Amino acid sequence: MGVSAPLLSAAGVIGAVVAMMVDGRRAVAIAVVCLAAGMTPTAATFGGGPGVAVLGASAIVAILFAWVGWLGGRRLPWVAGLDPTVPATAPGDRLFGPRSVRAFGAAVAILIASWVSFNVPVGEVAVVEGLLFPTAYAWTCGVIRLIVAKTVEDLAVGVAMVSMSTGTAWLLRGGTDSLPGAVIACVAAPVAALVSGWLAGRSSRRVLPRVEAEA
Amino acid sequence: MNPLVIAAVWLGLGLVAATVLRRRSARLVAVVPLAGAVLTLFAARSPAPAVPLGGLAAITGLDRAGQGALVAAGVSLALLIALHPSIDVSMARAVGVVGAAATVAMSSTDSLVTALALTAAVATLVLRWIALAPGRATLAAGRIAGSGTAALVAASPFLPLSGFTTGARPVVVGALFALGVAALLAVYPFGGWAAGILGSLRPLDVAPWLVVLAPVVLIIAERVPNGILGDGIPVFEHVLLVIGLGSAVWGGVWAVRGPASMRYGRIFMADIALCIAAVGGTRSSPAVTGALIIVLTHLTVAPILLRPLDAGLVWPRRVATALLSGVPPSPTFWGRFLLLEALAAGNVGSTIAAVIAMTAIFVATVMACSMKGTATAAPAWPARVPEAVAWALVAAGIAIGIAPQALSVFVFGN
Repeated sequence: MGVSAPLLSAAGVIGAVVAMMVDGRRAVAIAVVCLAAGMTPTAATFGGGPGVAVLGASAIVAILFAWVGWLGGRRLPWVAGLDPTVPATAPGDRLFGPRSVRAFGAAVAILIASWVSFNVPVGEVAVVEGLLFPTAYAWTCGVIRLIVAKTVEDLAVGVAMVSMSTGTAWLLRGGTDSLPGAVIACVAAPVAALVSGWLAGRSSRRVLPRVEAEA
Repeated sequence: MNPLVIAAVWLGLGLVAATVLRRRSARLVAVVPLAGAVLTLFAARSPAPAVPLGGLAAITGLDRAGQGALVAAGVSLALLIALHPSIDVSMARAVGVVGAAATVAMSSTDSLVTALALTAAVATLVLRWIALAPGRATLAAGRIAGSGTAALVAASPFLPLSGFTTGARPVVVGALFALGVAALLAVYPFGGWAAGILGSLRPLDVAPWLVVLAPVVLIIAERVPNGILGDGIPVFEHVLLVIGLGSAVWGGVWAVRGPASMRYGRIFMADIALCIAAVGGTRSSPAVTGALIIVLTHLTVAPILLRPLDAGLVWPRRVATALLSGVPPSPTFWGRFLLLEALAAGNVGSTIAAVIAMTAIFVATVMACSMKGTATAAPAWPARVPEAVAWALVAAGIAIGIAPQALSVFVFGN
C-alpha cells in the first residue's frame, strides 16, 4: 500500500504548529504529546510498531516526568530559583507579541522544510526522499522557537521539539541503527519536561500564601 | 577505564558537592574536576566497545588527544576554583554535568551521542546562567548555543554519507556542522552570547564553558569532517575559515576597546576563533599543532586571569597576560606562528586577516599588562599559597614557550 505524503505532512504540521504555539507551565508535556501524535503516522510507516512505541513512550514518560518534577519541586524546601514561565527580559512595547513572531516563524518553516524534504535524501540503505517534510518542519519550528525564546519554558519546548523530530528522522533512515538512534534522540524530550516541571513546581509554591494574604 | 564510569564520577561528585558542601568548605568544589582529571588518566581507547549502543557506533573510549584535553581542562578548572576568592557551591552541579558531558562527547564516535552530550552541557550551563543573571545576554546563550547543539543533533540522521558524497545532503550536513561548531565556540556572528555572559556574570561562572567545553568542541570540530563530508567539505571549511577570521579580528578589536574586566575573555574568544579558522578552514597539520599549543596555554593561564581584577595576584597576572602576547618566548608565539603558517598556505587574504587579529591581541595584552594594580602588603605564609600556585602556573606557561612541541605531545600525544 502506498504512503499518502499529504496525510503524513498534515498530521506532522498540525502537531508542530500546536507545539510551536503552546505556552504555560505544562507547555513541554503538551508539545511532546502533540508532536508524538503528529509524527505517529510517519513513525508507523517507516518504523512500524517499534517506531510508534518509541514516540508513544516518549509522550507518556514526558507527562510522567513533568508531573514528578513538578511534585518534587513543590515538596522540597524552597530556595530562590528560576520561574520557567517568567520572561528573562522585560517585554518591550511592540506591535507583535511572542506568539505572532512564532506564527511567522512557523510560516517561514514551511519553505525551509519543503526544500529539505525534496532535496535532501535521508536513509542509508533505502533512500527516502520527499517524505521528510513533517520531521523537517517540526525541527525547523523547534529551532525557531529556541531562537525567539523569551522564557526557560520556551527553551525547553524548543529542545523537546528538536528531540522528537530528530527521533522521527532516525526512524525514517532505516537500517539496524534506526531504532536505537530514535530512542536516544527522543530521550531529551522527557528530560526537558522533567526540568521544566521541576522549575515550575519549585516556583509555584513560594508566592501564593503571602501574595494572597496581602491581596 | 570505562568512560561512562569517569562521567558518572564527574556527575556524582558534582551533585554531592552541591548538596553537602557549605560556604566554609566551598573550596572543596575543586575536588570534582580534580577527581575527574585523575580518573581520566586511566582511560584508554579499546578496540572493543566500552559501551555498546545497539546498531549505533559505540562509545569506544578516549583517544590520546581527548584524554589529554580532558585531564588538562580538569586540572585547570580545579586550580581556577581553588584560587578564586569566593565560590558558590551550587556551581559544583554545573561543573559535574559539564565534565561528564565532555567525557561522553569526547569518547563517543557517534555524532548523535556527541551532540546530545553537548546539549546536556549547554542546557545545564544556560539554566545556571539564567538563574544567576536573568537577562538578554544569558537568554541569548540559551538561544544561540542551544540552536548550535540542535544543528549538531539534526545532522546525525544524515550520517554516514557513504554513497551520498555529492548533492544537497553533504552540503546540508556540512552547513549544520559549521553552524553548530560556530555557535558553541561563540564565533562571529554567533559570538554575542559569550561576550554578553562575560560582561554579566562572574568569571568563575563562565569557566566551565571557557575551560572545558570550548576546548572539547574545538577538538571535536577538528575530527568532524574527517573525509566523510564529500561536497560538504568546502561548505564546512569555507564557512569556518571566513567567520573564524572575521571573529578573530572582531574579538581582537574588542579586546583592545572593551572594558578591562572582559579583556581576557575577549582575547580567549579571538584566539579560539583563530584556531577554528585554521583547524576547520585549512585542515593542515601545523594548524592542529598550533591550536593545541594555544589551548594548552589558555588552560595554563586561565586560573590566574579568570579572576576579578581586584582579587590580587597583580604580578602573576601581568606575566600570565604577557604569555598571551605572542612575543617569543611566549607559547602563543609558536601557536600563532603555526596557525599563520597554515593560513598562509591558503591565500593572502586569510594571512592578512590573521595578522590583524594577532596584532590586536598583542595590543590588548600590552594594555592588560600595563594596568595599574594595588600591591598589598605581603601576607602570612598560608595566605601566600595562591600566589605560589599562580607563579608555578606562570612557570609552566614559560616552559610551554620554551618547549612547545614536546609539551604539546606530552599532553595531547602525537
